[in-house]
Amino acid sequence: MATDALRSQVAAKWQESFHRLNSDAPGISGLMNFSEAWAISTQYLYPWDINNASLDGGGKPFGKDLNVARPAFSLVNHSRRLPALLENFLDDMRQNFYLIENEINQFMERYEADEDTAEIDPLITKLMEWYKSWAPPQELGSTFFSSYTLNFQTRLFSALPPSFAHGFKKLCARLLSPPDDDHAQWDPNIHAEVWKNFEILGLIDRYESIIASVGYEFIENHVLSKCTGEWGKPMLEELRVWMSEKVVPWMLHVYARGASNAEEARSMLQGVGSRFDFHINKTLCDLRTREIFDIIIDFPDSMGALQDLKDCLQRVDQRANLVRSLRKSNQKRLLHPGADTKLILQQYVATIKCLRIVDPPGVLLFKVADPIRRYLRERPDTIRSIVANLVGDDDGGDSLVDENEPIQPLQQPEFEDYTDPQWEPEPIDAGPEFRTNKPGDILSTLVSIYDSKDLFVKELQVLLAQRLLMITKDNSDRVERERKNVEILKIRFGEAALQVCEVMLRDMTDSKRIDGHVQSQKESVVHPTIISRHFWPSLESSDMVMPGQFKQLQEDYAHEFNVFKPDKTLKWLPHLGTVQLELELEDRTIEVDVPPLEAAFIELFADQAIWTLDELVKAVGAVDRSAAIKALSTWVDHGVLKEDPENTFRLLERAEEPSEAVVRERDLAALPVVEDTPAISVAQQQQADQMRVYWKFIEGMLTNLEKLPLDRIQSMLKFAPGYDRSIEQLGDFMEAARREGLVVVRDGIWKLNK
Amino acid sequence: MEQLTSSIAPPRSSPKSSAPSSTQQGAGSVAKRLSNELMTLMMSSSPGISAFPKHDGNLFEWVGTIEGPSETIYAGLTFKISISFPPNYPYVAPTIKFDTPCYHPNVDISGGAICLDILQDKWSAVYSVQTILLSLQSLLGEPNNDSPLNSDAASLWDEPAVFKTQLMKHYRPVSDSA
Repeated sequence: MATDALRSQVAAKWQESFHRLNSDAPGISGLMNFSEAWAISTQYLYPWDINNASLDGGGKPFGKDLNVARPAFSLVNHSRRLPALLENFLDDMRQNFYLIENEINQFMERYEADEDTAEIDPLITKLMEWYKSWAPPQELGSTFFSSYTLNFQTRLFSALPPSFAHGFKKLCARLLSPPDDDHAQWDPNIHAEVWKNFEILGLIDRYESIIASVGYEFIENHVLSKCTGEWGKPMLEELRVWMSEKVVPWMLHVYARGASNAEEARSMLQGVGSRFDFHINKTLCDLRTREIFDIIIDFPDSMGALQDLKDCLQRVDQRANLVRSLRKSNQKRLLHPGADTKLILQQYVATIKCLRIVDPPGVLLFKVADPIRRYLRERPDTIRSIVANLVGDDDGGDSLVDENEPIQPLQQPEFEDYTDPQWEPEPIDAGPEFRTNKPGDILSTLVSIYDSKDLFVKELQVLLAQRLLMITKDNSDRVERERKNVEILKIRFGEAALQVCEVMLRDMTDSKRIDGHVQSQKESVVHPTIISRHFWPSLESSDMVMPGQFKQLQEDYAHEFNVFKPDKTLKWLPHLGTVQLELELEDRTIEVDVPPLEAAFIELFADQAIWTLDELVKAVGAVDRSAAIKALSTWVDHGVLKEDPENTFRLLERAEEPSEAVVRERDLAALPVVEDTPAISVAQQQQADQMRVYWKFIEGMLTNLEKLPLDRIQSMLKFAPGYDRSIEQLGDFMEAARREGLVVVRDGIWKLNK
Repeated sequence: MEQLTSSIAPPRSSPKSSAPSSTQQGAGSVAKRLSNELMTLMMSSSPGISAFPKHDGNLFEWVGTIEGPSETIYAGLTFKISISFPPNYPYVAPTIKFDTPCYHPNVDISGGAICLDILQDKWSAVYSVQTILLSLQSLLGEPNNDSPLNSDAASLWDEPAVFKTQLMKHYRPVSDSA
């Protein structure tokens, strides 16, 4: 049981508490007073239903008279019972919070029904009303108040349904976006009150990420709507201005609340401001990255976009993204069989120029260019396109190489010069095989697609040969133009590389001189171009023999030539060139310029009016049957010959009324005389020639060694000069030979088919 | 300048190796000549004669094929020969013998050795594999009966029927021997 000591201690405590409450008042009157004050205080603080309040006589809510409550508060305070009062108050609040919850639910139900932020707005106002009505008076001190606020907010947050976050976001977005029409008059401060309410209710802190995302989305939308497809001028500066005008005022409410002056506000905004600025950069950068392919197509009209991209990339680390995106769109839109080589080259050159603006050291370019270059290397006509472009043979297409660019020698990849005082290390994202190439010289870059420039020089020779052989007596001034071209190319490719071209040009002038001389001795209608066989690309040979008067003309000319140059013999290439003819028929005269084969055929008809195709072919030596048909159809189109019956041709001394079929055909063809480009064996033909050599070797080894497996053939072919095929290529070749019945294979052993 | 240093360099490096290296160099030029001859032979497409190195990497041992000229007793027969070039070719003639047994006045039927003036004392550096093969082909039709290696054959030459029987008795088709 309790001891005396305990008993006396309890008694002392009791006395102390009693005194505190009783305030030394006589009897228990103090106690009575306190109990009355307690009742008034709790009544005053009691969280009431503001929608359904019982009013007292003065029209105020019952028991809410601060004048009455104030002395009561001070008495409670005096008795040091405030903590108990607070506890009691908070407990009451907990019990009555359902009132607010009901209200919230009503609003949110309506909101969820039609997703209208108009429901959120009054909800906030209403909540503010609740908050203010329940708020304890200042007299109870800041501790009391802040406990209340914290408690209120905590309960509020738990009461708000998940859909509120969504609605709140929409509300914020509405507050943020200015009315569409009158940007100028939009005053961000009209919503200041709402923001303040948010702040009081603790919504800003709670939903900070939502508010930020509203800001981000706002920026994104603006950037996308303003900048998509707008590549003409740099947009970044404009966006920054927009940001400081439109977004910053809004941010002030959110992020600089409570700042007393501008300086303070600025420092508070710094962090979030740079985040938003970053977001602008990132959005713009992503946008341009998506658009990069088209931007490059539009170059140089898309300069602004490139400048933006450059600035953005400095801020945002999206270089890898850019490379990936561009490579992907190149793969999809450029490097496929449907794209013209010329187009690919143009896009490549544009890519070079564009990426040099974005990234002067060239790392991005290197990474993007690699697949393009690999693809171009596989295209058979890449060299031809480049060379044709170089000598201005392109019709219509833009020149790949900028006219204004100074003509300079090709650059060979150099070793790095470490003694160079301007030397800079390679950029950090450069791969191990990265090589800087000096900016500016597009041609060097193009030529470097291939390992050596020899291929280009060879192609140049072929092209030049073609162009020179097309020159006739009438447009001999074109020789001068070609000479100029060659001079320019000499600067690029070097004197030695173009020596052959030089000889070709000299042959042209020499031909003219020799022709002049020969003509002076004995006039002839033949004006040959005399070329030095060794210096010209191999011309397709032909076994064609010119019949009749042509043969006579050739022989006469050759005779005169031999007199003039006894140490040389003239070997005719009768299938090249053009013949100017005047056909005298019974009822009409026809004047045409035709290729030699056509001329040869019509010459044959001078003696005999009806020929079969086979006879004709035989009469001019061996010519391709299809070429013969083509030549004959030229005359059919001219109405000079008629095919009747098939493969038999008859001369029409008198013009026939063209039958309908012929007319239609002529309309379709609508080609008077097609001036064929002289057939010069190009790379493919040369390859076939080479393969013919290898075949001789294969034939030789199989003749003598009887039967060989493929790998033996491959290694034996090392005896053939310049053999560089892979065993797979050889396998294909042998397979082709087998199909032609030249060889047979059994168990992987090849032998000749005898 | 470069030439000068390179010509100085070998004696300095090792005098011992100078002798083999000179033959090496000789071999190099012989190989070059042989590979040129191969190229010419391959591209010339002379009917009925052909030759090719036996193994890759060795240009000094060749196999040749000669078809008997038409309108001779050897027509329709194919003979294999082996050609072995000396290191100092073309200053010395290559050694040539028939691998396919050839019943012929100037050919040793068992060893395949050939008695042909241009392969012995009349050899000249201007001859080539192609000329040798052509000579051998014509030798088939026109033997030199004055200096026979195979005197039986020489004596039978004027009796084509008997000669042919003897020839076919010894002849082995190419594919069997290979």
